[in-house]
Amino acid sequence: MIKKPSKGYLVVASRKPNFYSLAINCIESIKDYYPDAKCCLVTEEKFLDGREDIADDLIFCDDHYRAKLWGMANSPYDITMYIDADSEIEHEDIATVFDELNNNDMMFHKLDEKYKKVYAITSFTYENVREYYTYCGGVCLYDMRNPLVKDFMNDWNDLFRKQYSKELILPMDPWQELWDFDQTTLWYLLNKVDKYKNIKVDSFKDNLRWNYFPHYERYFNAFPKDPVVIRHYSSYAQKDKSYA
Amino acid sequence: MADVKRTWIKDAFWETPSKELLNCISEHKEGFKDVRQVHKLKRGDPLFDECVEQLTIEFIDKTTDERVNKKFKEQEQQRQLEINKRKAERLEQLFNYKLETFEVEDIKESKNRILKSRLRRAKSIPEVNLYAIMIIQDKLENDKETE
Repeated sequence: MIKKPSKGYLVVASRKPNFYSLAINCIESIKDYYPDAKCCLVTEEKFLDGREDIADDLIFCDDHYRAKLWGMANSPYDITMYIDADSEIEHEDIATVFDELNNNDMMFHKLDEKYKKVYAITSFTYENVREYYTYCGGVCLYDMRNPLVKDFMNDWNDLFRKQYSKELILPMDPWQELWDFDQTTLWYLLNKVDKYKNIKVDSFKDNLRWNYFPHYERYFNAFPKDPVVIRHYSSYAQKDKSYA
Repeated sequence: MADVKRTWIKDAFWETPSKELLNCISEHKEGFKDVRQVHKLKRGDPLFDECVEQLTIEFIDKTTDERVNKKFKEQEQQRQLEINKRKAERLEQLFNYKLETFEVEDIKESKNRILKSRLRRAKSIPEVNLYAIMIIQDKLENDKETE
Protein backbone atom coordinates (compact mmCIF):
# COMPACT_ATOMS: atom_id res chain seq x y z
CA MET A 1 0.00 0.00 0.00
CA ILE A 2 1.32 3.44 -0.92
CA LYS A 3 1.86 5.66 2.08
CA LYS A 4 -0.06 8.93 1.93
CA PRO A 5 2.27 11.92 1.97
CA SER A 6 2.11 14.16 5.01
CA LYS A 7 0.96 17.68 4.21
CA GLY A 8 1.33 20.81 6.27
CA TYR A 9 1.88 24.55 6.45
CA LEU A 10 5.13 26.15 7.53
CA VAL A 11 5.55 29.64 8.97
CA VAL A 12 8.86 31.11 10.11
CA ALA A 13 9.57 33.92 12.57
CA SER A 14 13.11 34.91 13.42
CA ARG A 15 15.00 37.97 14.56
CA LYS A 16 12.15 40.28 15.62
CA PRO A 17 9.51 39.50 18.27
CA ASN A 18 6.91 41.14 16.04
CA PHE A 19 7.47 38.48 13.44
CA TYR A 20 6.59 35.91 16.09
CA SER A 21 3.26 37.71 16.64
CA LEU A 22 2.68 37.85 12.90
CA ALA A 23 3.49 34.14 12.56
CA ILE A 24 1.06 33.23 15.35
CA ASN A 25 -1.62 35.32 13.64
CA CYS A 26 -0.88 33.60 10.32
CA ILE A 27 -1.12 30.10 11.80
CA GLU A 28 -4.28 30.96 13.74
CA SER A 29 -5.80 32.28 10.52
CA ILE A 30 -4.98 29.00 8.75
CA LYS A 31 -6.80 27.13 11.53
CA ASP A 32 -9.72 29.57 11.43
CA TYR A 33 -10.51 28.27 7.95
CA TYR A 34 -9.00 24.77 8.15
CA PRO A 35 -9.10 23.54 11.76
CA ASP A 36 -7.49 20.17 10.89
CA ALA A 37 -4.50 21.77 9.20
CA LYS A 38 -1.08 20.64 10.35
CA CYS A 39 1.03 23.71 11.02
CA CYS A 40 4.70 24.00 11.82
CA LEU A 41 6.14 27.10 13.47
CA VAL A 42 9.85 27.66 13.01
CA THR A 43 11.03 30.28 15.45
CA GLU A 44 13.60 31.24 18.05
CA GLU A 45 13.12 29.74 21.51
CA LYS A 46 13.44 33.14 23.17
CA PHE A 47 10.20 34.37 21.56
CA LEU A 48 7.92 31.69 23.00
CA ASP A 49 5.07 33.06 25.13
CA GLY A 50 2.56 30.22 25.20
CA ARG A 51 0.83 31.12 21.94
CA GLU A 52 3.06 28.66 20.09
CA ASP A 53 0.67 25.93 21.33
CA ILE A 54 -1.41 26.66 18.23
CA ALA A 55 1.30 24.98 16.12
CA ASP A 56 1.32 21.22 15.71
CA ASP A 57 5.06 21.17 15.20
CA LEU A 58 7.62 23.52 16.67
CA ILE A 59 11.17 23.82 15.39
CA PHE A 60 13.80 26.19 16.72
CA CYS A 61 15.94 28.20 14.33
CA ASP A 62 18.74 30.73 14.69
CA ASP A 63 18.31 34.48 14.40
CA HIS A 64 19.31 34.73 10.74
CA TYR A 65 17.62 37.38 8.60
CA ARG A 66 16.31 34.64 6.27
CA ALA A 67 15.90 31.74 8.72
CA LYS A 68 12.87 30.96 6.56
CA LEU A 69 15.13 29.16 4.09
CA TRP A 70 16.55 26.93 6.81
CA GLY A 71 13.01 26.37 8.05
CA MET A 72 11.80 25.39 4.57
CA ALA A 73 14.63 22.87 4.21
CA ASN A 74 13.74 21.37 7.58
CA SER A 75 9.98 21.05 7.14
CA PRO A 76 8.55 18.00 8.95
CA TYR A 77 6.09 17.41 6.09
CA ASP A 78 6.44 15.64 2.74
CA ILE A 79 4.45 18.35 1.01
CA THR A 80 4.78 21.80 2.54
CA MET A 81 3.03 25.05 1.93
CA TYR A 82 5.39 27.74 3.16
CA ILE A 83 3.68 31.08 3.90
CA ASP A 84 5.41 34.34 4.86
CA ALA A 85 4.54 35.29 8.46
CA ASP A 86 3.11 38.67 7.45
CA SER A 87 0.27 36.97 5.60
CA GLU A 88 -3.26 36.15 6.64
CA ILE A 89 -5.59 33.44 5.37
CA GLU A 90 -9.10 34.51 4.45
CA HIS A 91 -10.70 31.59 2.63
CA GLU A 92 -11.40 27.92 3.35
CA ASP A 93 -9.75 26.92 0.05
CA ILE A 94 -6.47 27.06 1.97
CA ALA A 95 -7.28 23.39 2.62
CA THR A 96 -7.07 22.66 -1.12
CA VAL A 97 -3.74 24.35 -1.80
CA PHE A 98 -1.92 21.01 -1.98
CA ASP A 99 -3.96 20.12 -5.09
CA GLU A 100 -2.28 23.05 -6.85
CA LEU A 101 1.00 21.14 -6.98
CA ASN A 102 -0.25 18.76 -9.71
CA ASN A 103 2.85 16.97 -10.93
CA ASN A 104 5.27 19.75 -10.09
CA ASP A 105 8.02 19.75 -7.51
CA MET A 106 7.59 23.37 -6.48
CA MET A 107 5.04 26.13 -6.96
CA PHE A 108 5.59 29.84 -6.45
CA HIS A 109 3.73 33.10 -6.83
CA LYS A 110 4.65 34.50 -10.23
CA LEU A 111 6.00 38.03 -10.47
CA ASP A 112 3.99 39.36 -13.37
CA GLU A 113 5.71 41.99 -15.50
CA LYS A 114 2.54 44.09 -15.58
CA TYR A 115 2.59 44.52 -11.79
CA LYS A 116 6.30 45.28 -11.50
CA LYS A 117 5.59 48.61 -9.78
CA VAL A 118 4.52 46.59 -6.71
CA TYR A 119 7.71 44.58 -6.45
CA ALA A 120 10.92 45.75 -4.81
CA ILE A 121 13.02 44.72 -7.81
CA THR A 122 12.28 42.71 -10.95
CA SER A 123 15.03 43.15 -13.50
CA PHE A 124 18.81 42.94 -13.36
CA THR A 125 21.68 41.78 -15.52
CA TYR A 126 23.52 38.48 -15.23
CA GLU A 127 26.86 38.50 -17.03
CA ASN A 128 25.60 41.61 -18.80
CA VAL A 129 22.41 39.97 -20.09
CA ARG A 130 19.06 41.47 -19.00
CA GLU A 131 17.15 39.02 -16.81
CA TYR A 132 13.94 39.08 -14.77
CA TYR A 133 12.92 37.56 -11.50
CA THR A 134 10.16 35.08 -12.23
CA TYR A 135 9.03 33.97 -8.80
CA CYS A 136 8.40 35.50 -5.39
CA GLY A 137 9.43 33.55 -2.31
CA GLY A 138 6.50 34.81 -0.24
CA VAL A 139 4.74 31.49 -0.63
CA CYS A 140 6.10 28.17 -1.81
CA LEU A 141 4.40 24.83 -2.17
CA TYR A 142 6.95 22.04 -2.47
CA ASP A 143 7.26 18.29 -2.35
CA MET A 144 10.30 16.99 -0.50
CA ARG A 145 9.59 13.37 -1.35
CA ASN A 146 11.76 14.19 -4.35
CA PRO A 147 15.33 14.25 -2.93
CA LEU A 148 16.22 16.91 -5.50
CA VAL A 149 13.75 19.28 -3.86
CA LYS A 150 15.31 18.62 -0.45
CA ASP A 151 18.75 19.37 -1.98
CA PHE A 152 17.35 22.48 -3.59
CA MET A 153 16.00 23.80 -0.29
CA ASN A 154 19.31 23.10 1.45
CA ASP A 155 21.27 24.78 -1.33
CA TRP A 156 18.90 27.76 -1.35
CA ASN A 157 19.61 28.22 2.36
CA ASP A 158 23.38 27.58 2.14
CA LEU A 159 23.88 29.78 -0.89
CA PHE A 160 21.80 32.62 0.50
CA ARG A 161 23.81 32.60 3.74
CA LYS A 162 27.01 32.84 1.71
CA GLN A 163 25.51 35.59 -0.39
CA TYR A 164 24.32 37.48 2.68
CA SER A 165 27.68 37.19 4.46
CA LYS A 166 29.38 38.54 1.29
CA GLU A 167 31.26 35.26 0.90
CA LEU A 168 29.55 34.82 -2.47
CA ILE A 169 29.08 37.52 -5.07
CA LEU A 170 27.16 36.48 -8.16
CA PRO A 171 27.84 38.24 -11.50
CA MET A 172 24.55 40.11 -11.18
CA ASP A 173 24.03 43.82 -11.39
CA PRO A 174 23.14 45.98 -9.45
CA TRP A 175 24.49 43.58 -6.82
CA GLN A 176 24.11 46.14 -4.01
CA GLU A 177 20.33 45.92 -4.57
CA LEU A 178 20.16 42.15 -5.07
CA TRP A 179 22.40 40.59 -2.45
CA ASP A 180 19.86 40.51 0.42
CA PHE A 181 16.99 39.02 -1.60
CA ASP A 182 16.35 35.30 -1.37
CA GLN A 183 14.74 35.69 -4.82
CA THR A 184 18.22 36.35 -6.18
CA THR A 185 19.42 32.96 -4.95
CA LEU A 186 16.19 31.34 -6.12
CA TRP A 187 16.62 32.75 -9.62
CA TYR A 188 20.26 31.67 -9.73
CA LEU A 189 19.53 28.09 -8.63
CA LEU A 190 16.65 27.67 -11.05
CA ASN A 191 18.35 29.25 -14.04
CA LYS A 192 22.07 28.74 -13.71
CA VAL A 193 22.64 25.52 -11.78
CA ASP A 194 22.59 22.41 -13.98
CA LYS A 195 21.65 20.11 -11.14
CA TYR A 196 18.23 21.76 -10.93
CA LYS A 197 17.47 22.20 -14.62
CA ASN A 198 14.94 19.35 -14.56
CA ILE A 199 13.19 20.34 -11.38
CA LYS A 200 9.53 20.96 -12.16
CA VAL A 201 8.61 24.48 -11.12
CA ASP A 202 5.48 26.42 -11.90
CA SER A 203 3.29 29.22 -10.60
CA PHE A 204 -0.21 28.93 -9.15
CA LYS A 205 -2.93 28.85 -11.80
CA ASP A 206 -4.97 31.67 -10.26
CA ASN A 207 -1.73 33.37 -9.32
CA LEU A 208 -3.00 36.38 -7.31
CA ARG A 209 -5.23 34.18 -5.19
CA TRP A 210 -2.39 32.56 -3.29
CA ASN A 211 -0.32 35.62 -2.44
CA TYR A 212 -2.40 38.75 -2.79
CA PHE A 213 -0.50 41.95 -2.09
CA PRO A 214 -2.82 44.88 -1.18
CA HIS A 215 -0.93 46.86 -3.83
CA TYR A 216 -2.54 44.73 -6.55
CA GLU A 217 -5.81 46.40 -5.70
CA ARG A 218 -4.33 49.77 -4.84
CA TYR A 219 -2.46 50.34 -8.08
CA PHE A 220 -3.98 48.01 -10.64
CA ASN A 221 -7.51 47.20 -9.56
CA ALA A 222 -6.37 43.62 -10.10
CA PHE A 223 -8.08 40.67 -8.45
CA PRO A 224 -7.82 36.90 -8.76
CA LYS A 225 -10.53 34.98 -10.60
CA ASP A 226 -11.69 33.35 -7.36
CA PRO A 227 -11.65 34.88 -3.87
CA VAL A 228 -8.31 35.71 -2.26
CA VAL A 229 -6.99 32.89 -0.05
CA ILE A 230 -3.72 34.39 1.22
CA ARG A 231 -3.38 38.15 1.72
CA HIS A 232 0.23 39.22 2.08
CA TYR A 233 0.76 42.45 4.00
CA SER A 234 4.45 42.62 3.16
CA SER A 235 4.50 46.17 1.78
CA TYR A 236 2.87 47.34 4.96
CA ALA A 237 5.27 45.37 7.15
CA GLN A 238 8.22 46.94 5.35
CA LYS A 239 6.85 50.43 5.77
CA ASP A 240 6.15 50.08 9.45
CA LYS A 241 9.43 50.12 11.34
CA SER A 242 8.00 47.88 14.06
CA TYR A 243 7.88 45.05 11.53
CA ALA A 244 11.12 45.85 9.74
CA MET B 1 -2.47 81.57 -46.93
CA ALA B 2 -5.06 80.61 -49.50
CA ASP B 3 -2.47 78.73 -51.57
CA VAL B 4 -1.59 76.36 -48.73
CA LYS B 5 -3.10 72.93 -49.29
CA ARG B 6 -3.93 71.48 -45.91
CA THR B 7 -4.86 67.98 -44.93
CA TRP B 8 -6.98 67.77 -41.78
CA ILE B 9 -6.10 64.89 -39.46
CA LYS B 10 -9.08 62.74 -38.65
CA ASP B 11 -9.21 63.40 -34.94
CA ALA B 12 -10.83 66.84 -34.83
CA PHE B 13 -13.39 67.35 -32.07
CA TRP B 14 -15.71 70.03 -30.73
CA GLU B 15 -14.39 71.82 -27.66
CA THR B 16 -17.90 72.96 -26.67
CA PRO B 17 -21.38 71.42 -27.02
CA SER B 18 -22.45 74.47 -29.08
CA LYS B 19 -19.85 73.47 -31.71
CA GLU B 20 -18.47 77.02 -31.81
CA LEU B 21 -14.89 75.97 -31.06
CA LEU B 22 -13.09 73.26 -33.02
CA ASN B 23 -9.90 71.51 -31.94
CA CYS B 24 -8.09 70.11 -34.96
CA ILE B 25 -4.71 69.34 -36.50
CA SER B 26 -3.60 70.18 -40.01
CA GLU B 27 -0.65 69.11 -42.10
CA HIS B 28 0.84 70.86 -45.08
CA LYS B 29 4.08 71.01 -47.04
CA GLU B 30 6.50 73.91 -46.89
CA GLY B 31 9.16 73.12 -49.47
CA PHE B 32 10.54 69.76 -48.35
CA LYS B 33 9.20 70.11 -44.84
CA ASP B 34 6.03 68.57 -43.48
CA VAL B 35 4.39 71.05 -41.13
CA ARG B 36 1.88 69.93 -38.52
CA GLN B 37 -0.21 72.52 -36.69
CA VAL B 38 -2.65 72.25 -33.82
CA HIS B 39 -5.57 74.70 -34.05
CA LYS B 40 -8.36 75.90 -31.86
CA LEU B 41 -10.66 77.48 -34.39
CA LYS B 42 -13.70 79.65 -33.75
CA ARG B 43 -16.72 79.55 -36.03
CA GLY B 44 -16.27 82.25 -38.64
CA ASP B 45 -12.58 81.52 -39.13
CA PRO B 46 -12.01 80.42 -42.77
CA LEU B 47 -9.90 77.47 -41.53
CA PHE B 48 -12.87 76.37 -39.38
CA ASP B 49 -15.01 76.09 -42.51
CA GLU B 50 -12.20 74.40 -44.44
CA CYS B 51 -11.74 71.74 -41.78
CA VAL B 52 -15.50 71.13 -41.35
CA GLU B 53 -15.95 70.88 -45.09
CA GLN B 54 -13.14 68.35 -45.41
CA LEU B 55 -13.99 66.18 -42.38
CA THR B 56 -17.78 66.78 -42.25
CA ILE B 57 -19.89 67.66 -39.18
CA GLU B 58 -21.05 64.06 -38.75
CA PHE B 59 -17.48 62.79 -38.58
CA ILE B 60 -16.45 65.49 -36.05
CA ASP B 61 -19.55 64.68 -33.97
CA LYS B 62 -18.49 61.04 -33.95
CA THR B 63 -14.88 61.70 -32.90
CA THR B 64 -16.14 64.11 -30.22
CA ASP B 65 -18.42 61.42 -28.80
CA GLU B 66 -15.60 58.87 -28.84
CA ARG B 67 -13.29 61.30 -27.08
CA VAL B 68 -15.88 62.15 -24.41
CA ASN B 69 -16.51 58.46 -23.78
CA LYS B 70 -12.80 57.73 -23.57
CA LYS B 71 -12.27 60.60 -21.11
CA PHE B 72 -15.25 59.45 -19.07
CA LYS B 73 -13.85 55.91 -18.93
CA GLU B 74 -10.42 57.19 -17.88
CA GLN B 75 -11.98 59.31 -15.14
CA GLU B 76 -14.02 56.34 -13.98
CA GLN B 77 -10.89 54.16 -13.86
CA GLN B 78 -9.05 56.87 -11.92
CA ARG B 79 -11.96 57.16 -9.50
CA GLN B 80 -11.97 53.38 -9.03
CA LEU B 81 -8.23 53.38 -8.33
CA GLU B 82 -8.72 56.11 -5.71
CA ILE B 83 -11.47 54.05 -4.05
CA ASN B 84 -9.25 50.95 -4.12
CA LYS B 85 -6.32 52.88 -2.74
CA ARG B 86 -8.38 54.08 0.21
CA LYS B 87 -9.81 50.58 0.69
CA ALA B 88 -6.35 48.98 0.67
CA GLU B 89 -5.05 51.57 3.13
CA ARG B 90 -8.00 50.96 5.44
CA LEU B 91 -7.42 47.21 5.25
CA GLU B 92 -3.76 47.61 6.13
CA GLN B 93 -4.62 49.90 9.05
CA LEU B 94 -7.19 47.39 10.22
CA PHE B 95 -4.64 44.57 10.01
CA ASN B 96 -2.22 46.63 12.13
CA TYR B 97 -4.95 47.45 14.63
CA LYS B 98 -5.88 43.78 14.98
CA LEU B 99 -2.24 42.81 15.56
CA GLU B 100 -1.96 45.43 18.30
CA THR B 101 -5.20 44.18 19.83
CA PHE B 102 -3.90 40.61 19.84
CA GLU B 103 -0.91 41.87 21.85
CA VAL B 104 -3.13 43.00 24.77
CA GLU B 105 -2.05 40.67 27.58
CA ASP B 106 -5.51 39.20 28.36
CA ILE B 107 -6.24 38.67 24.67
CA LYS B 108 -2.82 37.16 24.07
CA GLU B 109 -3.43 34.68 26.91
CA SER B 110 -7.02 33.88 25.93
CA LYS B 111 -7.64 30.36 24.61
CA ASN B 112 -11.04 31.25 23.16
CA ARG B 113 -10.35 30.36 19.52
CA ILE B 114 -13.87 31.18 18.36
CA LEU B 115 -13.83 34.76 19.59
CA LYS B 116 -10.26 35.28 18.45
CA SER B 117 -11.23 34.05 15.01
CA ARG B 118 -14.18 36.47 14.95
CA LEU B 119 -11.85 39.30 15.91
CA ARG B 120 -9.49 38.36 13.07
CA ARG B 121 -12.38 38.38 10.59
CA ALA B 122 -13.73 41.74 11.86
CA LYS B 123 -14.33 44.24 9.08
CA SER B 124 -13.97 47.45 11.11
CA ILE B 125 -12.24 48.87 14.17
CA PRO B 126 -15.48 49.05 16.23
CA GLU B 127 -16.07 45.36 15.45
CA VAL B 128 -12.51 44.55 16.56
CA ASN B 129 -13.13 46.47 19.81
CA LEU B 130 -16.36 44.60 20.40
CA TYR B 131 -14.71 41.18 20.10
CA ALA B 132 -11.74 42.39 22.15
CA ILE B 133 -14.13 43.24 25.01
CA MET B 134 -15.85 39.86 24.66
CA ILE B 135 -12.50 38.03 24.77
CA ILE B 136 -11.42 39.92 27.89
CA GLN B 137 -14.78 39.28 29.59
CA ASP B 138 -14.50 35.59 28.75
CA LYS B 139 -10.92 35.51 30.07
CA LEU B 140 -11.92 37.22 33.34
CA GLU B 141 -14.80 34.78 33.85
CA ASN B 142 -12.52 31.81 33.21
CA ASP B 143 -9.91 33.24 35.61
CA LYS B 144 -12.62 33.64 38.27
CA GLU B 145 -13.73 30.03 37.81
CA THR B 146 -10.15 28.78 38.10
CA GLU B 147 -9.53 30.74 41.34
